[in-house]
Amino acid sequence: MIGRLLAALLFCHGAQAAGVVSLNLCTDQYLVQLAPEQVAALSPLARDPSLSVVAAEAARLPWVRADAEAVLKLAPDWVLAADWGAQTTLQALERRGVRVVRSALPEDFPAIRVETLRLARLLGVEARGVALLAQMDATLAQVVPGPALAATVLEPRGYTAGAGSLADSVLRAAGLRNAGMGRRQDLETLLAHPPALLVMTDAPAYPSLATDFLRHPALARLPTRHLPPASLVCGGPWSADAVRALAP
Amino acid sequence: MIALTATVALGGRPVLHDIAFTAQPGQLVALCGPNGAGKSTLLRALAGLLPGLPGRDPRQVAYLPQGARCAWGLTVAEVAALGRLPHGDAAAAPIARALTLCGLDSLRNARVDRISGGQARRAMLARILATEAPTLLLDEPTADLDPAAAHAIMALLRRLAQAGATVIVVLHALDLARDYADRMVVLQDGRIIADAAPADALPAAARAFGLPVGLDTQPRLLPPAAA
Amino acid sequence: MIRGLAALVLGLTALGLLLGAAGFGLPQSEILWQLRLPRTVLAGLVGAGLGLSGAVLQGGLRNRLADPGLLGIGGGAALGAVVAFYWGLSARFAPALPLGGLAGAGLACAALFALAGRAPSAPSLILAGVALSALASALLALALALAPNPFALAEITFWLMGGLQDRSLDHLALAAPPILLGLILLLRLGPGLDALALGEDVAQSLGRPVGRTLLWAAIGSALAVGAGTAVAGSIGFVGLVVPHLLRPQLGERPAGLLPAAALAGAALLLGADLLARAAPLLLPLSQEPPLGVLTALLGAPFLVRIARQVAP
Repeated sequence: MIGRLLAALLFCHGAQAAGVVSLNLCTDQYLVQLAPEQVAALSPLARDPSLSVVAAEAARLPWVRADAEAVLKLAPDWVLAADWGAQTTLQALERRGVRVVRSALPEDFPAIRVETLRLARLLGVEARGVALLAQMDATLAQVVPGPALAATVLEPRGYTAGAGSLADSVLRAAGLRNAGMGRRQDLETLLAHPPALLVMTDAPAYPSLATDFLRHPALARLPTRHLPPASLVCGGPWSADAVRALAP
Repeated sequence: MIALTATVALGGRPVLHDIAFTAQPGQLVALCGPNGAGKSTLLRALAGLLPGLPGRDPRQVAYLPQGARCAWGLTVAEVAALGRLPHGDAAAAPIARALTLCGLDSLRNARVDRISGGQARRAMLARILATEAPTLLLDEPTADLDPAAAHAIMALLRRLAQAGATVIVVLHALDLARDYADRMVVLQDGRIIADAAPADALPAAARAFGLPVGLDTQPRLLPPAAA
Repeated sequence: MIRGLAALVLGLTALGLLLGAAGFGLPQSEILWQLRLPRTVLAGLVGAGLGLSGAVLQGGLRNRLADPGLLGIGGGAALGAVVAFYWGLSARFAPALPLGGLAGAGLACAALFALAGRAPSAPSLILAGVALSALASALLALALALAPNPFALAEITFWLMGGLQDRSLDHLALAAPPILLGLILLLRLGPGLDALALGEDVAQSLGRPVGRTLLWAAIGSALAVGAGTAVAGSIGFVGLVVPHLLRPQLGERPAGLLPAAALAGAALLLGADLLARAAPLLLPLSQEPPLGVLTALLGAPFLVRIARQVAP
């Protein structure tokens, strides 16, 4: 009885079609933009429009939790993940002989170029990678350099974008000067010394105290540019759209 | 006048059977009987505190439970002033009269948790006097007091009855009942087994307590402390 | 005494409008009206609710250790507010936030009275309170862990430690009406609490039955503490400390403490909030210390002192 049950479980294991499993929100977006046809599963966050620029496509694709057993059941050709987070799961997969590719998530445009090409080659779709980058460079080239206005990227809980962060790279690419530089900013100091431009991402659907901070009525009078919430979460070819939205 | 006709069961256990009780103004009635006879329950029923029985107007009936303690360090005057709560005022005159009657003038501002047990008991008594209710119900007001303090309280209650109050006191001490009460009601197993002048009711009370009959039943002279 | 406390509250309120992260002095109008005003008034209101509720609970339960935080009422309020907030109820219907706090605090009150019985002795009451507090924080952590927002769990410190930084006029508008209503209800309980000083039978014989007094104490505390916690998180020890500070001056009569307890609670929380605001200006701190941490630093030694006095 138990033997038959086990056999049944083992069978449905091996029967799945192969492909690539991505376990990280950022690699999800690379995978969907580069090779949607190879997706075996994405992380559940990929379908969240407040976090992912490919939420619409991801909603039609399967998803899997970062759980070794759940991933093994899909029998993927290989697994795409970040070099942080869920490392015990990745090690368990590697021990079972699954190939794991880790991405050092890029935070500036040179690194985005390198990572896009590397992943495109791994997926065997180099031409698609080159096309995405060409599109990105065309968008970036539209930015007209102006006076380097002081801009503060205000993040939930009052944190500001630090040097070397994706938001910092986007600001510089848009010809702005990053005034926040990673300090935590309370509202009173911000109102007493307001920047020329306040950059905020639209609050995601979930309420939290951290994002409640961004809706404080006292901020309403400052010059503010809003970005779609998913635009500054992960660095990729799509980050050029955020630059275009901020450029004067 | 206060009257009660009741059968009472607490927690499914019958405590009072077919009680018919009436007390008249000017009477000091002693409720006597062994432990568990139903004295305190009868007093609480008279006070309107038992569920299922009619409540009382708190301005008409003042009740002092057994061993009443104050949870806070109120002053003697503050305890007496609680007696005005049913009237919703803090009228100074009745409070001052009650304190004087109880001999507490010099202790008005002393905290009840820092004076002697007898003084604290008198403060509790001052509280029910300050209500100026025509009916006073007291449960063992003399328990644990030295004889002089006990006699002082009983003498005060007697004066109040003579002045027209209806005073009903649960008493363990048969000699105090004999010396001060106008009427003695003896309870046993939730029934009134005797209701008469103390001299006539004492034999029944002694039997109920399991004491040898033949106790001195003649009233004694009041001790000087109580006069 | 009352006049002195009222003057203190006014003085601290003025200081509250003058002190902030932008420095000491009258700031630009936006900072004054949109940041410092709601924060200062909320500190006063939340503190008044906690102080008065502490005095009423101590009187009603005849227990010197009663405090809305220690007894789990603050925890219940935080739990209710968390559920209303992170599950998006308050995003669709703003008053759901204070209503959630009210519901949580009300449930905690009901559970407390049920657990401790009608004549709660000190140990049984405190044990019931400890059990309720532990249950409330466990459920709070569970609610945050299961909340649809993946970052919600990071905000547990606010709900456990409280804070008033960057609260807005919206928060004030949501919390003030229930807190004020709660304060009015609690202030009317003086005679009932006094009557309870001599026990439940005496209270009933004086025409103030214990059940009615405790019911209104629970409703008033739920309003005053629940709505305050919904916008400021749980702030402990104010309700415990305030009556103890007042008794040596005002005597022990519960009713005599009530108005002063509201004012002293307001003054205490205003002072603690000013301390929190001043700390980053005076010390090399990158952020304000949480308000609940400051009140706990103040209150915990107090609790030890009271426990030693109460111990047989």
